[in-house]
Amino acid sequence: MKTYLKLNNDVLNRYSTTGQLELEKDQEATRRYFLEYVNVRLRYFIDLEEKISYLVDEGYYEKEFIDMYEMEFIKHLYKKAYDYNFRFPSFMSASKFYDSYAMKSRDGEEILEKYEDRIVIIALYLAQGNKDLAERSVEAIMEAYQPATPTALNSGKKARGELVSCFKLSMDDSMNSISENIGYCLELSRLGGGVGVNLTDLRPLGDPIKEILNRASGVMPVAKLLENSFSYSNQLGQRNGSGVVYLNIFHADIENFISSKKPNADDKIRLATLSTGIIIPSIFFNLMKRDKDIVLFSPYDIFKEYGKRMSEVSISEMYYELLDNPKIRKIKRLNARKLYTEVKKAQFESGYPFEIFDDNVNDVHPLKNIGRVKMSNLCTEILQVQQTSLITDQDEPNEYGLDVSCNLGSIDIHAATKVNDFGALVDTAMHLLTNVSQMTNIKNVPSVVKANKLMHSVGLGCMNLHGHLVTEEIMYGSKDSVDFMDHFMEAMNYYSLQSSMEIAKANGETFYRFEDSDYATGIYFDQYVNEVEKELSPVVLKALGNIPVITPKMWETLKQDVMQYGLFHSYRLAIAPTGSISYIRSCTASIAPSTERVEVRDYADSRTIYPMPHLTNDNSHLYVEAYDVNPYDLIDLYAASQKHVDQGISMTLYVTDNWTTEQLAKVYIYAWMKGIKSVYYVRQRLQSLEECVACQI
Amino acid sequence: MSNIVYEAVNWNKSTSELAQVFWDQQWKQIWLPEEIAVSKDIKQWRNFEHQDTYKKVLAGLTLLDTVQTNIGMNRVVAFTPDLQEKAVLTVFDAFEAIHAKSYSYIFTTLCTNEEIDELFEWVKKNEFLQYKANKIADVYNSIEEDDPESLWKAMYASVMLESFLFYSGFFYPLYLGGQGFLRNSAEIISLILRDESIHGVAVGFFGQNLFKKFPLEKQEELKLWGYELLLDLYQNEMNYTDDVYAETGLSPEVKAYVRYNANKALMNIGFDPMFPEEEVNPIVMNGIRNEGSTYDFFSQKGATYAKAKVAPITDDTFNFNR
Repeated sequence: MKTYLKLNNDVLNRYSTTGQLELEKDQEATRRYFLEYVNVRLRYFIDLEEKISYLVDEGYYEKEFIDMYEMEFIKHLYKKAYDYNFRFPSFMSASKFYDSYAMKSRDGEEILEKYEDRIVIIALYLAQGNKDLAERSVEAIMEAYQPATPTALNSGKKARGELVSCFKLSMDDSMNSISENIGYCLELSRLGGGVGVNLTDLRPLGDPIKEILNRASGVMPVAKLLENSFSYSNQLGQRNGSGVVYLNIFHADIENFISSKKPNADDKIRLATLSTGIIIPSIFFNLMKRDKDIVLFSPYDIFKEYGKRMSEVSISEMYYELLDNPKIRKIKRLNARKLYTEVKKAQFESGYPFEIFDDNVNDVHPLKNIGRVKMSNLCTEILQVQQTSLITDQDEPNEYGLDVSCNLGSIDIHAATKVNDFGALVDTAMHLLTNVSQMTNIKNVPSVVKANKLMHSVGLGCMNLHGHLVTEEIMYGSKDSVDFMDHFMEAMNYYSLQSSMEIAKANGETFYRFEDSDYATGIYFDQYVNEVEKELSPVVLKALGNIPVITPKMWETLKQDVMQYGLFHSYRLAIAPTGSISYIRSCTASIAPSTERVEVRDYADSRTIYPMPHLTNDNSHLYVEAYDVNPYDLIDLYAASQKHVDQGISMTLYVTDNWTTEQLAKVYIYAWMKGIKSVYYVRQRLQSLEECVACQI
Repeated sequence: MSNIVYEAVNWNKSTSELAQVFWDQQWKQIWLPEEIAVSKDIKQWRNFEHQDTYKKVLAGLTLLDTVQTNIGMNRVVAFTPDLQEKAVLTVFDAFEAIHAKSYSYIFTTLCTNEEIDELFEWVKKNEFLQYKANKIADVYNSIEEDDPESLWKAMYASVMLESFLFYSGFFYPLYLGGQGFLRNSAEIISLILRDESIHGVAVGFFGQNLFKKFPLEKQEELKLWGYELLLDLYQNEMNYTDDVYAETGLSPEVKAYVRYNANKALMNIGFDPMFPEEEVNPIVMNGIRNEGSTYDFFSQKGATYAKAKVAPITDDTFNFNR
């Protein structure tokens, strides 16, 4: 019996019986964890030089990046990192780091890296010989910046996975494209990636093949093929590959698609491990509001008639044209309200499908003149333009389009309010993300390689919002919290644009077709330069700490610079759900409310008890749990943040089982009205029997 | 041909205080063992030192669930007068059958056929296991028509079984699962436990209503009978625990957990607890709280999704007072 696990479990046990938090138990668990587990496994080195040369000679670290620096400089950086006197604030953070991130010997017995070592290696590796950047990176990562898991985990290691792990692919309505994309999925899954595939362009069940009707099998069998590919290819069994498929709600196969995640679905269509998401154009909501039927279409007809794929047209704009055109089959009529109720039912029973609000995404898309955003990724925060590849027969060359690899990082909001120079922090983060994008070469997926070279997209996000609000005594969902995020994200947007402009200026290079973007015309900046300066409450100002309030004048200057020098990155911001990385840093996840004051976290391999960061016996009333946050307040907070984010924000909704499908629909409709771009999971808390009986008697 | 007037169950008029609540809750948490990927445990299982204990623990649970499916719930259903309560108990019975089958699902995944056959032979031979099965089944089999006393005794026995006797077995998978070991099998156990706790509360509640109708003197007599049965079963449970857990060194902890649950069983039936409070291993305690724990999406199936309550979307759905 491991005493540290018992101590860690004791925290919850006491908390749930007495309501008292015994943080000392968690600290004691951390201490015992070091004594019993970490220290006995830590390999001893005489000095840093011996350590580095051992790790290089034994093939643990890559040699090339170490050789870019003098040993004196490396020593200096290690000292800098260790001078922060970092201590793991919770058992969760320590165990997560040593279980999953620290370099271990090949037999798994010895621990070869401490927390500071990992950070210095990430900085040295990503800076690629740039000493100034390496130094700034150590500061940024020790203080407030966290690269996403694949980057944090793999940087500098010789035997390593990729630095990015999230991809979006577009599948075309041809057998060549289907098989090519399944091949990509196998490859990307082998690298541990999560892959999103858009199925909207595939012809539905019963459509013609070579003009003969009732031949096509529709999207579900393709989804099953993808599901099997992901579970086959699983990083040496370490983690199952994972994927999501998206389908437009006007696609003729939508009913089966929606039901596919229900536990009692027919085995032929049931998707056990593959995630699903639906794309919903605004016209759907408008028809639903007027209690109309919707008509389902086949992408096959649309392509034949208009020469465009279904994903390439705006259904909201084309809907009545499609209805009136006799050459477009009206495959099925469904009552919009009934269909949406089915969606809500599926979400209650399985958490799926995710929803992407097509027009909310594309109306404000700064690259709308370059193309449409057709889908999202596995966590619904990546929203970038794609171009479908033309996959030809084997004796002809393929014509590759643009697909997406997402390269993410997050800023700890609480820590960021305390750094001296927030602009510099964002700039360092942007440089690190840029280098990751340039060092990434997913050679087996040419459309990703091509997009990476042309688009330089990154996704900087943030986390620990709830933790920060608690320290500032602001209630999650209150007006102050909304104002805070409005200003925080505006500053993130401003400094990331500034940084991208500076990089473009220095490199003399912009992203592909910058000149066609709303940045180049300056339209993008209208929302800011014409903004009336708002009075901020003292509470919000204090919570912002060292983060500057951006004025319309500053925006005007930036606008001129961007129009003159361009931007290096086609996309800059995206707020990911942040799982493991927020645990390591003892942050609350993303900008979401915490689900429990003392969280029970089940990973596939362990159960860990995690009292929320900054939680004490005195402030627990501020840690209102996600299921108790008014969902409309939560949406207001996300909507305020979303205005400043060029891509998306991963937003989970929290419901209890006494909700009805209608109540859930209402929340989604509100989200759509407020300009939210995507909704990720619906999480549900099942009331316990005690609660049910208690409210009955 | 007999000439009895049969009554139809009318759910539009409530005849039992909480039948609807129990009904809803049980259906909301419907699950099937096949939804959980026990095969992911195979790697750990191969090198597991105490396979024998683990298998016996599950085999013992299988027997109890079998008795509960075939005799317990069946008999109680047959003699319970309220039609809605009958319906609820019939649903419970179906879940008992799922439970009994789900242990087999774990066995099929982890063990060879030969091992499984041996195990079911062991069940027949283990005196302590047979003792508790017999003791409980006897009470079930003694129910008689129009005899509320015998019916109450059967309900009492049922609560003892579901809230108390199962837990010597539940301990081990929860203990291991909480430490990251055989997590998927543990998840099945925690789903079973979630059902058993409703069954214990519901049957206990129906039993309490029945109990109230007895004259005080009778109540005292039944109480005495109840505590005696519990003590008898408790003694046997201690022996069973020693027998099964001997090689693991966990017996004292299992026993503390058994006492904790004996107290809970007594409270379910409306009696005072009889064992002093003591500390139970926190990892096992936390294993029970499966509601609302947070899963990441590479993990096993979460236990937190349930049936939806459907209500139509109306014009009002589009009105917001904000």
